[in-house]
Amino acid sequence: MSDYKAVVIGGSAGSFAVVLKMLSQLRADFELPIIICMHRLKHIRSGLVESLNVKSQKEVIEPFDKQRIEQGKVYLAPSNYHMFIEFDGTISLSVEDMNNQSRPSIDYTLSSAAVAYREKCLGIILTGANKDGAKGLKDIADKKGFTIVQDPKTADVPTMPKAALEIMKPDLILTPDQITDYLNKL
Amino acid sequence: MDAKEFLVALKVKTGYDFCDYSEQSISRRLLKICEEQNIQFEQLLDKVIADSLYMARFVEDITVNTTELFRDPIVWISLYKTLYQRLRTTGIITFWHIGCSVGLETYSNLILLKERGLIDRVRVFGTDLNPRVLNVARKGLYAYKFNSHFKNNFEEVMSGIGSKSKFEDYFDVDEVKDTMAVKPFLTEIPKYMQQNLVMEKCPFPYKVDVVFVRNVLIYFNDVLQTKIMQMIDSKTYDKAVLILGKQEMIPTKYSGQYEQVGYYHKRM
Ligand SMILES: C[S@@+](CC[C@H](N)C(=O)[O-])C[C@H]1O[C@@H](n2cnc3c(N)ncnc32)[C@H](O)[C@@H]1O
Repeated sequence: MSDYKAVVIGGSAGSFAVVLKMLSQLRADFELPIIICMHRLKHIRSGLVESLNVKSQKEVIEPFDKQRIEQGKVYLAPSNYHMFIEFDGTISLSVEDMNNQSRPSIDYTLSSAAVAYREKCLGIILTGANKDGAKGLKDIADKKGFTIVQDPKTADVPTMPKAALEIMKPDLILTPDQITDYLNKL
Repeated sequence: MDAKEFLVALKVKTGYDFCDYSEQSISRRLLKICEEQNIQFEQLLDKVIADSLYMARFVEDITVNTTELFRDPIVWISLYKTLYQRLRTTGIITFWHIGCSVGLETYSNLILLKERGLIDRVRVFGTDLNPRVLNVARKGLYAYKFNSHFKNNFEEVMSGIGSKSKFEDYFDVDEVKDTMAVKPFLTEIPKYMQQNLVMEKCPFPYKVDVVFVRNVLIYFNDVLQTKIMQMIDSKTYDKAVLILGKQEMIPTKYSGQYEQVGYYHKRM
């Protein structure tokens, strides 16, 4: 496989469908851990991980604090917790204040992945109605990680990809299907 | 100096030991303080050493005090239907809320104990690192509007346990002053005490039946988590019960000694 240690994905409004499709089309032997931070609607706190698991080729986990990140698994930030990637390859959680009106905050997850994985991080920002995540993706790029932004033209709500494009230049701007293809060829 | 070196220097100079806190979260908070005040770690260190008020403020800023009334309502409903039915039927039951913050978890527990008719048989302790949050906890006085989700959680729990109790049975709400005050019959029960878990012993002399330690261990690495478990172990009765945060597990070294029952962990 590639030199990457993990794929880290952020999205909000509209991203659930994109992630669902991506996980259902990813090849079964895709080895890299996939770490997803998605904003959730206030009234849909639970059920997200269950619905992802129905379609996903891989097991989707809402991690416990200090859970070790393993190959081939998918991790979804639990509702109402921020999720950080630690240097020792474990996940830590926090209930601190919202960031960009969000908990989990995509910036927090992506920025922690940027320093933990450095150039071995692959970061992706999807559709979303909030600028949360833009700074995190920039941090990944600044640490020489690889970055992909969903083409705003294909986004349900383009605010999040546009916010990223305003402050950084990603390696690729792709449609959701192209993102899946790209990952499948790694 | 980087965040790690700063924490080591802080420990040497002040005795405050945050070295075994979860690294990403504490580093981020430290960097944020430096950014906001436009200073380097060297200057931050000088400031905390020189000024004890600044130090107290700093400790508050790098620890996380967010809490809620009945955080995760399903957990409380389940505890009411399981744990609270199985508590000892004789003698005094002792509860310890570790990292109790401003006391909302303590009062959530007390409300359910009142609903269960157990409130006359309990001893309740809340401990935390920060003196400021403990003072708020003692008063039981909170902002109202900003915290409207507290009332939603309360109502969800009451309906979940089949109770007709109203928010006003437990809180005096003043919409003009925008405050909600826990009624005195509840605030008079818990004893709040300062304790730094990293290096201080438990500040009260009793053994404990039920320990709430929710969303506190997540801020510690596994070394420190194990150390705290050791202290909890030595302070509790054989069949003690532990309640952790929704996304927390018993640290590996102790996991064999506890059995999970719904949302709580019982020592075997
Ligand atoms: C996120 S709050 C948890 C509040 C409550 N248990 C809940 O779940 O809603 C964490 C608390 O742990 C306290 N804390 C952090 N480090 C501590 C230490 N070394 N000793 C004692 N308390 C500490 C903080 O001051 C804070 O009030």
